[in-house]
Amino acid sequence: MSPIRLMAANDWRLMARSRVAQLALLMLLALAAVAALTAIAHRDHSNDLRARFQAQADQDFDGQPARHPHRMVHYGHFVFRPLPALAGFDPGVDAFTGSTIFLEGHRQNSANFGDVRQSSLLARFGQLSPAFVLQVLAPLVLIFIGFGLIAAERERGTLRLLRVHGRSAGEVLRGKLLALAGIAAVLLLPACLALAWLTVSAQAEPVAAVLLTIGYAGYLGLWVTGVVTVSALTRSARGALMALLGLWAVTTILVPRIGSDVALRMAPLPTRLETDIAIQRDLHRIGDSHNPDDPHFAAFKAGLLARYKVSRVEDLPLNYRGLVAMEGERLTAGLFDRYAEAQFARQRRQAEVVNGLALLSPAVAVRSLSMALAGTDLEGHRRFLRQAEAYRYTIVQGLNRLQAEAVTYVDDGNRNSDPEAARRVRIDPRHWHDVPDFTYRSAGLGERIRAAAPGAAVLAVWLVLAAGALGLAARRLGRDL
Amino acid sequence: MMIESDPDHPLDPVIDLSGLTLRRGPRTVLADLSLQVGPGEIYALLGGNGAGKSTTLAVLLGFLAPDSGVARVAGVDPAVAPDQARRQIAYLPESVALYDQLTAHENIAYFMALAGSEPGPDIIDAALDAAGLQSEARTRRVGGYSKGMRQKVAIAMAVLREVPVLLLDEPTSGLDPRATADFNALLGRLKARGTAILMVTHDLLGAADCADRIGFLAGGRIVEEVRPAEGIDVMALHHRYGEVAAA
Repeated sequence: MSPIRLMAANDWRLMARSRVAQLALLMLLALAAVAALTAIAHRDHSNDLRARFQAQADQDFDGQPARHPHRMVHYGHFVFRPLPALAGFDPGVDAFTGSTIFLEGHRQNSANFGDVRQSSLLARFGQLSPAFVLQVLAPLVLIFIGFGLIAAERERGTLRLLRVHGRSAGEVLRGKLLALAGIAAVLLLPACLALAWLTVSAQAEPVAAVLLTIGYAGYLGLWVTGVVTVSALTRSARGALMALLGLWAVTTILVPRIGSDVALRMAPLPTRLETDIAIQRDLHRIGDSHNPDDPHFAAFKAGLLARYKVSRVEDLPLNYRGLVAMEGERLTAGLFDRYAEAQFARQRRQAEVVNGLALLSPAVAVRSLSMALAGTDLEGHRRFLRQAEAYRYTIVQGLNRLQAEAVTYVDDGNRNSDPEAARRVRIDPRHWHDVPDFTYRSAGLGERIRAAAPGAAVLAVWLVLAAGALGLAARRLGRDL
Repeated sequence: MMIESDPDHPLDPVIDLSGLTLRRGPRTVLADLSLQVGPGEIYALLGGNGAGKSTTLAVLLGFLAPDSGVARVAGVDPAVAPDQARRQIAYLPESVALYDQLTAHENIAYFMALAGSEPGPDIIDAALDAAGLQSEARTRRVGGYSKGMRQKVAIAMAVLREVPVLLLDEPTSGLDPRATADFNALLGRLKARGTAILMVTHDLLGAADCADRIGFLAGGRIVEEVRPAEGIDVMALHHRYGEVAAA
């Protein structure tokens, strides 16, 4: 057996005889197993529930009796975002953003402007999942198991004995790296099993699962290198433990937490109330279809009359009220879209600030990589919101068009006073059946890989820096002994 | 094969220090120290605290590089090729470092494997017999061993190394008189095998008992050297050694 493997095997034997190491490892493995099982069960349960509710909502919409189309516009429709397969590994922002939206005419879905969607807040502590265990807890176990790998040998005097038996500082470091990397591989195992299960049972893309495994292997490899380096550079085991715990607290807890606050300050989002007030103000500015003196709708009416060469709206071949509803929807949807895009832009700015902090915290980098590959990042949620809004606009405009084409202007005006008119404006319910169901199109693998690339690049930079620090530690270890 | 060292016609020295000077800050720890130990010779280096004894061992082990002068271990300069030099050396530190969670057998097997040899359990047992460790203790973890028992494990390891150089740092400090006598007998066997042995110690009587030469180190250089075989007055030496140490 090579000396490096010999040293690693000896460390594993020592760990196997250490109660602390046994306990730490067993606890984390148990936690990882529980996290994997609960996250997968939660994902499956949520998806079942969402599918059931979506079917119910579709059925309720389709089952509406003959109605005035505008009643259907306000009856609204629920849409649900199905969880991606890998949400069982990394639920990402789903727990914060939710995945159910009520769609209704004249207003964009309220989820777009919710306070909870401050994107930086979403970077904080997550729920118990395999991803959370690997991002936050696994490094802690590596620290507790590995802090003394070299520092304790130095204190005990066995480090000098290793050297006296002809082993170089580089060999000692490589042996320790292999020993701790073995532990990291064990810690990674439950997550790999969870990913394999999701690939088989939920049809997650194998490429994404493999990339996630590589990403987390790189992240844990970084911690392995860091722990061994600090252990080599520190005079005492106690000093190594304190330094590593400090490093963990700063990079895994503090920086992401402070990063959220920095992002909030640098790109503050207006509150829901502020947004609502601003939208209402702008709505009044762009036009009020109920005000005969409103310049926009006066011009719209004049344009219609001129186009159809008539002098009264009653003489138009289409129901003027339906046309006004379509124009009103076009205007309000454009306004809502502008606000939503401005909101998205601010959120992206916040995310950029937080991701910039990945240079200080590999935990932020791996979190961003993980959510992107799993399809549970904020971009995935925005994608859902955009698709939901596009769907809402299509349905509402379709119903408005029905009002314009299938309901006469006279009946529409008399429906509250004339029972016959009221009957005639209620159109055949088969029209609701023709409305297509909402189908969410998740981001493709290529798109997710591109979104994960910045996190991966930052991790790679960290790995290069850690390798440099390890080289430094090897030189110092060679000089010290 | 028995190797008899002839003091008047020494074989090529296995341990060869010439003109070693080593400074630490303003303090000169070794000052033009020269010392040779031939195969099958036991050299005891005596000196007070801070005389440079442990520093001399550290230079031979390649852990410290001299500012001037050259050290050679079986022809290898430890400052240039420390790992190569260490492969020629068995080292018995004053405070024996072992893995407390392992048994004596496991400790020895591990360190021997690191040094490139894999003695079987019988060979390890024979070495532990020679070192005088009771057989019932050998399968216990060394965490519960006394200092003397740990010393014996390290001695067994040194015996098994079968290298040309043995460096000993206060080797008998944890041993009872019986174990010390056994240890001296063991050194005699290693000496007969041709091992060059350099021990640093405070124990003049012990040194006089087993060493071929005794060097007194003070201020980083050897100020006096005696050969016990030529007949020495140990008490007079003891007084003088006290003066040397005090100087």
